[in-house]
Amino acid sequence: MISTGMFGIDDMLGGGIPEGSRVLYSLEPGVDGQLFMISTLYETLEKGRSCLVIIPHTTVDAFLHDIGQLRGKILPAKENKIVFLDSVDRERIQRCAGKGSAAEREWQVRIKKLCTENKVDVIFGYFDVIYEDFGLEKGLALLSRACCPQESTIILENLNFEGDTLLEAFAARKSFDLILAIKSSFRPLPHFNYFTIMYTSWSTELHRSVPFLVEDGHVVPYIPKIVVTGPPEAGKSRFVANATELAMSVDRTGLGGNVTTVAMDFGRLHWQDFDITLYGTPGQPRFDPMLPVILHNAMGVVLLVDATNHGQLTRARNLYKTITRMHVPIVVAANKKDLPGLMSEEEIRKGIGISKNIPVFLISAQQESDVADVLESLVDSITRFIY
Amino acid sequence: MYFYKTGIPQIDQATGGFDAGTNLLLLAPSLSYTEQLAYALTKPLPGEYAIMLSTNERASEVIDQYKSAGADKHFVGVIDTITKCSTPSVSDTERFMFVTNPTDLTGIGIKFSHMVEMIFDGTFSGKESGLFPPPIRFCVNSVSTLLMYRKLEVLYQFLHVMTAKVKKVEGFGIYILNSEAFDDKTVSLIKQLMTIVIEVKVERSDNYFRVMGIRGVNADWHKFTINKGQVVLAL
Ligand SMILES: Nc1nc2c(ncn2[C@@H]2O[C@H](COP(=O)(O)OP(=O)(O)OP(=O)(O)O)[C@@H](O)[C@H]2O)c(=O)[nH]1
Ligand SMILES: [Mg+2]
Repeated sequence: MISTGMFGIDDMLGGGIPEGSRVLYSLEPGVDGQLFMISTLYETLEKGRSCLVIIPHTTVDAFLHDIGQLRGKILPAKENKIVFLDSVDRERIQRCAGKGSAAEREWQVRIKKLCTENKVDVIFGYFDVIYEDFGLEKGLALLSRACCPQESTIILENLNFEGDTLLEAFAARKSFDLILAIKSSFRPLPHFNYFTIMYTSWSTELHRSVPFLVEDGHVVPYIPKIVVTGPPEAGKSRFVANATELAMSVDRTGLGGNVTTVAMDFGRLHWQDFDITLYGTPGQPRFDPMLPVILHNAMGVVLLVDATNHGQLTRARNLYKTITRMHVPIVVAANKKDLPGLMSEEEIRKGIGISKNIPVFLISAQQESDVADVLESLVDSITRFIY
Repeated sequence: MYFYKTGIPQIDQATGGFDAGTNLLLLAPSLSYTEQLAYALTKPLPGEYAIMLSTNERASEVIDQYKSAGADKHFVGVIDTITKCSTPSVSDTERFMFVTNPTDLTGIGIKFSHMVEMIFDGTFSGKESGLFPPPIRFCVNSVSTLLMYRKLEVLYQFLHVMTAKVKKVEGFGIYILNSEAFDDKTVSLIKQLMTIVIEVKVERSDNYFRVMGIRGVNADWHKFTINKGQVVLAL
């Protein structure tokens, strides 16, 4: 296996990139995604493998400086098994052989020669200039096993102007073993970056999207905010407390001695390589003006209801309507399964008007494993959600 | 909506300036006042920012030009596609970013996003304007040079993305194209991406411009000069 060099992503892929694969990191214009390829390059070199890097858009010196800056760590070319074909080579080839099939042959010869002389294991190529020079088919052929050594792994980055259409065509034609699309969106946050595993040749289960941050030269997957909401006394504060390593609630004890949340519950947890912040809303309707504030920018919502309390369903229904308008993944958890007088799932679904594709879990917020199941399901839908 | 003042009375009086989200093609022959006109139209007024994608001048030269047009350099960012080729070790700062050459559209796109992000989150310059969204004037000097490095189809797609971003952030974009160096197909394709076209012509060493695409402003030719970053109309 070749590691992507990125935290969490190898796990998502089932261990990494199988050797001999062809990988595409597809960048939407403007998205801060150059570290995907660079992370894999650094990791591969650190493992002592031999690499050919094809950079027709820049020079070796400028490239080394750029990636050193991005990664926060200089890559000493001399101490690593790394060879290049760069913009200077491209100009030379164009000068002697133009842009047609003579140039294509010249590229082939040079790639083959560098690969054999240096026993190259992994080829990294920036594809969009090659694509422009030779067209899609010939460009792809140039960076395929037809030209590169049989056992080599080929990893391409492409600036994709053609959107998902191109990627779907690649997937349909099995041009790559792994297609990772890196995109940005203004929703739910401004400048929100995420990547989507669009296709893998080794599994159909993997299609998922994950938001990421770039921190200290590394790609960090994250799911920043999940909100737990629901009617009063449903068990939201208990849920947040039992889900997180560090939890806090801003509560007040009423005259009758019952505790209710007046601001919010807050907790942090680390889950499957994701950093998650969990917020619980107050349940009392008098705090409704706070809901939009707490729900703002949430990436997923747990609607928690008391499965023994039929009288709360109308309130839950209204909350459900509010959160469906946010267009983010939702899970419903029916709490207090340990108590008698539980409503059936049907009753709850009908009472709230829950759509078929949203799961309903019967849980007790007092049991950590139940809480974990709900979060696992929600995190899973968040990563599969098409933004 | 925000209006980008032009300093040209005919436009500012008729419409209040260019609407936020306007993309403008500046179509001009060589040896004209085009660049000065572009600097005059994209220099940041108080409260505004400017980003120049420069394929012809180094960042320091761009800043000098803006300064002599009367702009505050703290509100100007440059994406320089020249310097890094000869000085590979030059590093990005908030306001100066570098790519090796105009071929690197990936790099250009990312640097542009970074600058816009920093302007939005207030880390671009110490001084803050307080307007939101922050008004940004963006200039590509020049599309002609970009076309020497990338094919028309690719550059069209790239400009499609850039013009859409300018709209999204409610900015104002100017794109300079040499009217003599390209065929009609190229010019008309690029025009499709634009809201407004300003054409420049030179007759007996006098410069004229006309504006097409603004409602309420006729397309008459105006003789003009540029003085200290200000468009001056000759009568
Ligand atoms: N039996 C049982 N009681 C529960 C369970 N979960 C929560 N409770 C109890 O239900 C009551 C309300 O729980 P909270 O977590 O404070 O509920 P809340 O939704 O935060 O309430 P508000 O903040 O007032 O809206 C408390 O007395 C909890 O101990 C459960 O699974 N089983
Ligand atoms: Mg509570």
